[in-house]
Amino acid sequence: MDVTESDLPGVGKKHEVDIGGGQQLVVVTHNTGTRELYLKESADADSEKLVELSDRMARMVGTILEGAYFQPVESNHVETMLSEGTLLEWYAVEDDSPLVGETLAGADIGQRTGVTVVAIQRGEDVIAAPTSAAEIEAGDTIVVIGERDNCERFEKLLAGDL
Amino acid sequence: MADLLGIGVLFAAVAVATLVAVWLNKSVIPFYIVFGMVLSPSVAGQLSVAGYGLPVVESTEFIELGAELGIVFLLFFLGLEFNLDRLLDRWERITRAGTIDLAINFGAGLLLGFALFRDPLAAFLVAGIVYISSSAIITKSLIDLGWIANDEADPLLGTLVFEDLFIAVYLTIAAALVAGGSDVGAAVTAVGVALSFIVALLLLARYGTPWFERALQTNSNEFTVVRAVGITVLISGVALAIGVSEAVAAFFVGMAFASTTHTHKLENLLEPVRDTFAAVFFFWIGVETDPRLFAGVAALVVAAVVVTTPTKILSGYLGGRAYDLDPRRSMRVGLGMVTRGEFSLIIAAVALTGAGTSLSSEIANAVYSFTVAYVLVMSILGTMLMQYSAPFEQFATARFGAE
Repeated sequence: MDVTESDLPGVGKKHEVDIGGGQQLVVVTHNTGTRELYLKESADADSEKLVELSDRMARMVGTILEGAYFQPVESNHVETMLSEGTLLEWYAVEDDSPLVGETLAGADIGQRTGVTVVAIQRGEDVIAAPTSAAEIEAGDTIVVIGERDNCERFEKLLAGDL
Repeated sequence: MADLLGIGVLFAAVAVATLVAVWLNKSVIPFYIVFGMVLSPSVAGQLSVAGYGLPVVESTEFIELGAELGIVFLLFFLGLEFNLDRLLDRWERITRAGTIDLAINFGAGLLLGFALFRDPLAAFLVAGIVYISSSAIITKSLIDLGWIANDEADPLLGTLVFEDLFIAVYLTIAAALVAGGSDVGAAVTAVGVALSFIVALLLLARYGTPWFERALQTNSNEFTVVRAVGITVLISGVALAIGVSEAVAAFFVGMAFASTTHTHKLENLLEPVRDTFAAVFFFWIGVETDPRLFAGVAALVVAAVVVTTPTKILSGYLGGRAYDLDPRRSMRVGLGMVTRGEFSLIIAAVALTGAGTSLSSEIANAVYSFTVAYVLVMSILGTMLMQYSAPFEQFATARFGAE
């Protein structure tokens, strides 16, 4: 993605973002905080004004675009890539999961799937680095680290399919 | 009329001017001037409605000082928004477009000024008046028309930055020449003093950053504003007291603040202060103008409009080409640069101070009324050209190709 920044003396700053297909999104940020959003259909075209936003409004819209308000992915499966192939994943424990009531040692997660449980989120609390005696409850969110294959095995174990 | 009432009428009048400007969707500056003219002793003072005199705003000492503060803050902001690194970053293109603009318009202005007034100093002043475009009005039009997001904004704003830098040096020399009188030795001394003061301010702006930084180190908005105003107005006052342009001093103080971390805060906090006093300045320009003198300078104004509109379009077009824009957008740059405004009026105010000394009062007053009428025409003509740019763009594309 190509972003060009230029100064507008006495006005503020201009950012031009290539959004593909020859189109450019132009954001003019005024010194007053007002943002103006323009769309250029092609490099030669005149900019068409889309909206003008106050500073507060712009930040609001910005967080929505960023995904902080709403992540368009399944909430019980959020993954973060730590390095090539190694994932940090979140899994919600359903009421009917066979692991409910088991301790980490009893479920033998490490041996059976290869992932490491790094935290258990329970309501407002987070049990970081849980011991092998920690018990899994329905409604927990389990955070694990492991290879993609291992994570998939853990997901199956959690659902009772392994 | 009691003093406070006079000031009240002034501020009420400029407030109404803003309403009219919004209603007509035009820049407010010409309206400030016209309202000042209407309420001046030479217009409202001569009229009466049903036996009652109209409210008249006399040019009191307060209004004159308010206008002076308007000039100081206008230039202070120019300095504040003037970023040397920004300029050096695009130095090559800005100087190319800026030099074309300077050579064509200042050159044409010198010839025109001499042809009209037959006086070298008047010619020098007219050259500045017709050279400098209006940053305030042009920037507003760019935002209103949405050109700000287009490629033509770069050469337009870049050239304006070049003009601003030139006008700082120009005002130094102009103020010194006008104050110096007809004595060549005195004029040389005045220019020398002025330039040394400017060099001192430049050094202050360059090396005084830590001091300016600490001076505004406070969490209170109130203290920030009061301290910034205190420093700016004091240094400008010192400049004026030793015969140097207060406007230029304010420009360099602004530049000094621009290299601190407070720039953004100052812009936000001082903008209303600048706008208030700038309104007083434009109104004062109107009050000082006797519209009856327009008849005497009408021919001069027509000549200036006819000559300096095409020169700006030409220099702007070439400037746009120097930025590698196509003919259509280059034409827009030319049309956009036509508007003249606040800085031409500041030069006119300088001319007025020379009445009876370096300039004959006849010429000084003629230059002044000429400038006011010229700015009124050019501010309206320039914004109209930008609004109705389509036929000019078609002409440019047809004549020079679309690329």
